[in-house]
Amino acid sequence: MKRALLAILLLFAAPARAEDLVSGVSQDTIQITSNYTGTDIVVFGAIERPQSSQGRNIVVVVRGPDQVMMVRRRNRFAGVWVNSDAARFEGMPAYYYLASTEPVARVAPPDALSRYGIGLQALKPSAIGSHHDPEPFRQAAIRHLRRAGLYVESPGSIDFLSETLFRTKVPVPAGATRGQYNVEVYLFRDGDVVSAQSTPFFVDATGLERRLFNMAHNAPLYYGLACVAMAMMLGWISAVLFRRPD
Amino acid sequence: MEIYLPVAEMSVNWLIIIALGTGVGFLSGLFGVGGGFLMTPLLVFTGIPSTVAVATTLSHVTASSMSGALAQWRKRGIDFALAGVMLVGGVVGTVFGVWLFALMRRQGQMDLIVSLTYVIMLGSIGFIMLRESLATLKAYRSGATVSHHAVSRGWILGLPFKMRFRQSRLYISVIPPIGIGFVVGTLSAIMGIGGGFIIVPAMIYLLRMPTRMVMGTSLVQIIAVTSITTVLQATHNFAVDIVLAGLLVSGGVVGAQLGVRAGAKLRGEQLRFLLALLVLTVGAGLAWQLVARPADIYSLAEAAP
Repeated sequence: MKRALLAILLLFAAPARAEDLVSGVSQDTIQITSNYTGTDIVVFGAIERPQSSQGRNIVVVVRGPDQVMMVRRRNRFAGVWVNSDAARFEGMPAYYYLASTEPVARVAPPDALSRYGIGLQALKPSAIGSHHDPEPFRQAAIRHLRRAGLYVESPGSIDFLSETLFRTKVPVPAGATRGQYNVEVYLFRDGDVVSAQSTPFFVDATGLERRLFNMAHNAPLYYGLACVAMAMMLGWISAVLFRRPD
Repeated sequence: MEIYLPVAEMSVNWLIIIALGTGVGFLSGLFGVGGGFLMTPLLVFTGIPSTVAVATTLSHVTASSMSGALAQWRKRGIDFALAGVMLVGGVVGTVFGVWLFALMRRQGQMDLIVSLTYVIMLGSIGFIMLRESLATLKAYRSGATVSHHAVSRGWILGLPFKMRFRQSRLYISVIPPIGIGFVVGTLSAIMGIGGGFIIVPAMIYLLRMPTRMVMGTSLVQIIAVTSITTVLQATHNFAVDIVLAGLLVSGGVVGAQLGVRAGAKLRGEQLRFLLALLVLTVGAGLAWQLVARPADIYSLAEAAP
């Protein structure tokens, strides 16, 4: 009886007393300029109404814009390695970064992780018009993107500045695609999400880079002609500058 | 030292790219070739996507050919009539090549076709040049005069649609020059080359053009074909990166002029011997990549949605 009462009391008290999360990012736009070589953004947050730090975990997931990716497998054909099989994946993020207080396998059971799409193994893009066995292709895509530094799992990289205040540094590499990135911050307590918050930021080219990219796609004829004109001009100038006395 | 390439969507060290442009430009000035066959594989080696490498190298070839053509023009070494006829084939070949390029890209066989074409072209041309230059060097040492055995032109003389080319003192059918133009135009689009190493021997041995007209006329043809291909690659494949092109060209035109000066100090057959070695080395490297087991048999490409 006493225990049941306590349980009811806790149940009613829970909404008011539950831990909560506020988070933010240091920048809402990253501008790609001519000397852009990648940068860091800082994701920070605070736990409101904190309870014991035992059994509590923070997970930060940064996801780039979705892309369609083509994975090809080579086979030896008459001594030469030829692309033979392919699988196409939709909904692969161009960038995926995971920071957590502990390795995610220790944070929550696999079904919870896959429900929230936490961890590289929880990435399940849809294979379209594809190979009968897309799994090795999916693994290969993740392997490639990890090697390129675009898919990163970084456990233990969340710094606590105080009991409740935390931050983590998320690298945005030079090869990052333009578009909207989403930062998701999860607060886990004993393997369950108790609070989550999502904040977007944008990666975009500015100035000359943006104008050139837009021109190459919106006015490709003039862009091509400009390339040719530049090449001819420089060739002509060099011929004049280096002209030998005949 | 990093600079962002807006179309390739990646950062590169601009000093490396300018050095690459200068180095290839030097070799192209030294040997009198456009240098596309070296530039494209080297750019791919630095991590630039092969579609961008092929399409952007063409600007480098346009610039170095422009520089060379102006020098030939002053020496009246250009047959514009013949260049114009070849260009008819060149335009058709270019359009065909760009279409083929887009098709191969969709099929996922672009890299294979580019590599195979390179291995076959570089292997055969390199071998022919090596044999010819060695024979000349040997003959030179023994003091004998060398007679060039031209390919039999009997069948070429029999072709219809004859035209007179006064500057080259030729009266030949327009079919062979149009055919040469077509082949070079196609290769230019697929391989990112100007095709000088194919046009020059073809003009000398097939058309029997006077040697002093060959250089200038082939350069005019190359400028035209690479310009058209650049525009078509920009409009069809969005693969031309103007920042990369600017860096390559800036290094290339300076390197080319230095190369021309260095080349004046070497004899023709020595140059051809060295060029043959270079061509064979690049060809062998590419052939090795085709047959060696790749580090990862899977490859990843961003697909059009």
